[in-house]
Amino acid sequence: MSNALEVTNLKASIGDLEILRGVDLVVPFGEVHAVMGPNGSGKSTLCHVLMGKSDYEASGDAFVDGVDIMGMAVDERARAGLFEAFQYPTEIPGVTLDDLTEAMAASNPSDEGYAARESATTKTLSMEPFRERFVNVGLSGGEKKRSEMYLLGVAKPKMAILDEIDSGLDIDAVREVAAMVEAMRSDDMGILVITHYSRILRYMAVDKVHVMVNGKIVQSGGPEVAEELESGGYTELQAANAR
Amino acid sequence: MTAPAIPGTDVPDWLVARRSEASRRLGDLAMPSEREEIWRYLDLDFDPAFGSAPSQPGVAGDSDELTELWTGKVVSVIDGFVTDRGASTVASVSEQIDEGAGNDLFATAYDALAPGAVLIDGDHLSEKVFVDVQTTGVATTFPGVHVDVPPGSEASVVVRFRSTTDAPAVVVPRLTADVGDNARLALTVIQDWNYQTRAMARAVVNLGRDSGLTLSEVGLGAKIGRLHLDVNFIGRGSWAKIYGVYFGEDDQTLDYRYFMNHIGTNTRSDMFLKGAVEDDALSVFTGMIRIETTGIKTEAFQTNRNLILSSGASAQSVPNLEILANDVKCGHGSSVGPLDEDQRYYLMSRGLTPDVADRLQIRGFFEETISKIPHRDLLPWIRERINTKYITAQEEGRV
Repeated sequence: MSNALEVTNLKASIGDLEILRGVDLVVPFGEVHAVMGPNGSGKSTLCHVLMGKSDYEASGDAFVDGVDIMGMAVDERARAGLFEAFQYPTEIPGVTLDDLTEAMAASNPSDEGYAARESATTKTLSMEPFRERFVNVGLSGGEKKRSEMYLLGVAKPKMAILDEIDSGLDIDAVREVAAMVEAMRSDDMGILVITHYSRILRYMAVDKVHVMVNGKIVQSGGPEVAEELESGGYTELQAANAR
Repeated sequence: MTAPAIPGTDVPDWLVARRSEASRRLGDLAMPSEREEIWRYLDLDFDPAFGSAPSQPGVAGDSDELTELWTGKVVSVIDGFVTDRGASTVASVSEQIDEGAGNDLFATAYDALAPGAVLIDGDHLSEKVFVDVQTTGVATTFPGVHVDVPPGSEASVVVRFRSTTDAPAVVVPRLTADVGDNARLALTVIQDWNYQTRAMARAVVNLGRDSGLTLSEVGLGAKIGRLHLDVNFIGRGSWAKIYGVYFGEDDQTLDYRYFMNHIGTNTRSDMFLKGAVEDDALSVFTGMIRIETTGIKTEAFQTNRNLILSSGASAQSVPNLEILANDVKCGHGSSVGPLDEDQRYYLMSRGLTPDVADRLQIRGFFEETISKIPHRDLLPWIRERINTKYITAQEEGRV
């Protein structure tokens, strides 16, 4: 059986700067994994490279539900079932959230479930007042994350990568986002939470924690890995895995 | 040259005098020079053919989608002639109305040759008015609209310019409005000439004390679509919101020269124009905020955003400030550039193809302005026309 996400020896660079130096990662369906790492370790690059952002030169393999996505354009990867919740969601002035979800549904005509997921996720995340507003325009940090989670619920991907969804949030908002991630958990989706802090992991159950340092996953294990990092920090791991 | 006769019998003396005086001057005037800032960027190498001004209107076009969307009164101006029975013309009002339109070649030609503007005043303002201005042939024509909003009242007027044929016409439209004390005018201009037409429009609006103007322009057609606008904030506390959307393709030039003249105290202007150009089109926006010594406590802002969608297209965006008073607040923003890469990436990451992502971005770009146009029943038509222009350009591989 295929996994939600399988990444093998993924490398990425901008010019001469090598940012990802061979990442290996497997997220099975139904599981929630976390990637933790210090600033500059390549966490956000991992998101962008998997999503297909053109700023990078990338090599290696990445499969979503067994489908090779590396040669695909950004939108093809999305339609293949990959979703990225952005750390800094882009504002789209003049386009409402409803306009966007309508265009998403039209882009994926074989999936007839959009309308049902829209109303279900609207209820779960109390999104009613936001649907007529312009995408991410004038939203607070917490509201932007909620909007991203709403789009995740509507898109219903096979694999969701949540890039620093806890950044810039106060503790109540972090707790709320963690609860949303929990609510999204399902047997036909894998979730990867990218975070700098272990804080959010206190409020959600993760199956596995991967530690990324200098462009590589250097440690993987159960939730206890996050706790160890909490006390020890990244310094030791960084020293041991210097470029 | 002989000016076309003014229909009707009661042509006032001032109008007769103005016409003959302007006719005398017209013979000595040359085409304006592109070396003058106010005409810069324009290709004025054409024959204005003023001698071809018709002596009677051609055959009016049928009502169309836009007039059918309209729920108020419709008045037609065909080849410069007010053709509706019962519609008033400016022959019945004073000569004051055209003050400030200037005396360049086109303004003088209008003064000499226009067969009379339609007058929309107190008697006609109980319902909103749609002025359907049409040209029907190759002739050079001079349509005019004057709106007179009495103190304390409200007026809602749409002026739509269109061509009923593909003929390469020259049109010199003039729009003037006097907005009385504490009165309101919502005026929307839809410029939809055919792509052969050179239109040199002149507009002057005078604002009385505590009066307000919402003026929107939608620039779709014309080979040269020029609008030279003066808003005179004469009464204290007067304000104006100026909106513009334009989309140029082919070899169109869309040329906007907007002058906000703050004379009274505590006046306020907001200009917000958004445009896109593709193919070999050119857009020009020069916005001037001029605050006279008397214009203290003026607040004046202008924003002009332009999208360049093809390598052959260009946009000139030139905000200007001339401030002679103290204690004022002014601001301007101007940008010219391609579609936003971050927006495209974000939308594609939601599964939208690049084409669909760009269409959505274009729609959003214009929606910020279109949604502010007060004539809401026309908005679906405006959206559709602009989006269709873009989608056609995509399908034909120009953007």
